[in-house]
Amino acid sequence: MADDGRAPDGGGALGRPAAEGTSADPGTIRGPGRVLVALYGVFALAAGARAAVQLSTQFDEAPLAYLLSAVAAVVYVIATVGLARGGRGGRHTAVVACSIELAGVLVVGTLSLLDPAAFPDATVWSGYGQGYGYVPLLLPVLGLLWLRHQSRVADARPPTGGTAHAG
Amino acid sequence: MSTPLVVAATVVAVVLAALGGLSTALRRRIGTAHLAGAGLLELLLLVQLGVAVAALAGGDRPEDLATFLAYLLSVVLLPIAGLLWARSDPTRWAGTVLGVAALAVAVMLWRLLDLWEVTGG
Repeated sequence: MADDGRAPDGGGALGRPAAEGTSADPGTIRGPGRVLVALYGVFALAAGARAAVQLSTQFDEAPLAYLLSAVAAVVYVIATVGLARGGRGGRHTAVVACSIELAGVLVVGTLSLLDPAAFPDATVWSGYGQGYGYVPLLLPVLGLLWLRHQSRVADARPPTGGTAHAG
Repeated sequence: MSTPLVVAATVVAVVLAALGGLSTALRRRIGTAHLAGAGLLELLLLVQLGVAVAALAGGDRPEDLATFLAYLLSVVLLPIAGLLWARSDPTRWAGTVLGVAALAVAVMLWRLLDLWEVTGG
């Protein structure tokens, strides 16, 4: 079973050579940005499902933690949409969402270590995202770096943004 | 929930993620190896879904049923979504996108197993 699909030929099994660069079409998301959107999508799904279950079935047990889960889920969804849409508006939305996220994971992470009693049930951001392999701490940093790179690419283009003179 | 099945699916998912990373490192798009891996993973997930539904029908109930069902259904969709999205990406990052989906499947499977083992009234 482990040998499945492990054909060592460099041709078809591992795919055709990739297209280079991401500059051709600023409107569509591709390349590393797509990896980020995939990661954000997974977290939006996970945090959203968790928050929905917690709020609907056991809100009284830990209102603060569950409301935070819901806020985190909303922020992840906004960041996912902003990153996926791209463009100036999408980037601005995503920068705001990623900044809130970074602040959230740092503040909630610190508070959850200082005062564990306030967070009897874990949120995505407790312990700096410990329960999720610290990915919640890493994601906004990667997101902001990527967005900064993207806006530099955009600034290098003619402001009318019409034809491809970039590069 | 069957632990051997979860272990098998995790192995396939990790191999798939490694293949995706390899494509990215070699500056390639995804190929037949990725298709085969994602297909095998999806097959294992569907079997897993069948086993879980049969157990639920037989009267077993995890304590946190809502979360369990949400994970159970969304985990089946992940390889398909990852594959479709990776196939439409012409850059070398297609493999990494698929790898993210595969690793998410692996994590979700173990979470599912945890949820299943907390059976309560």
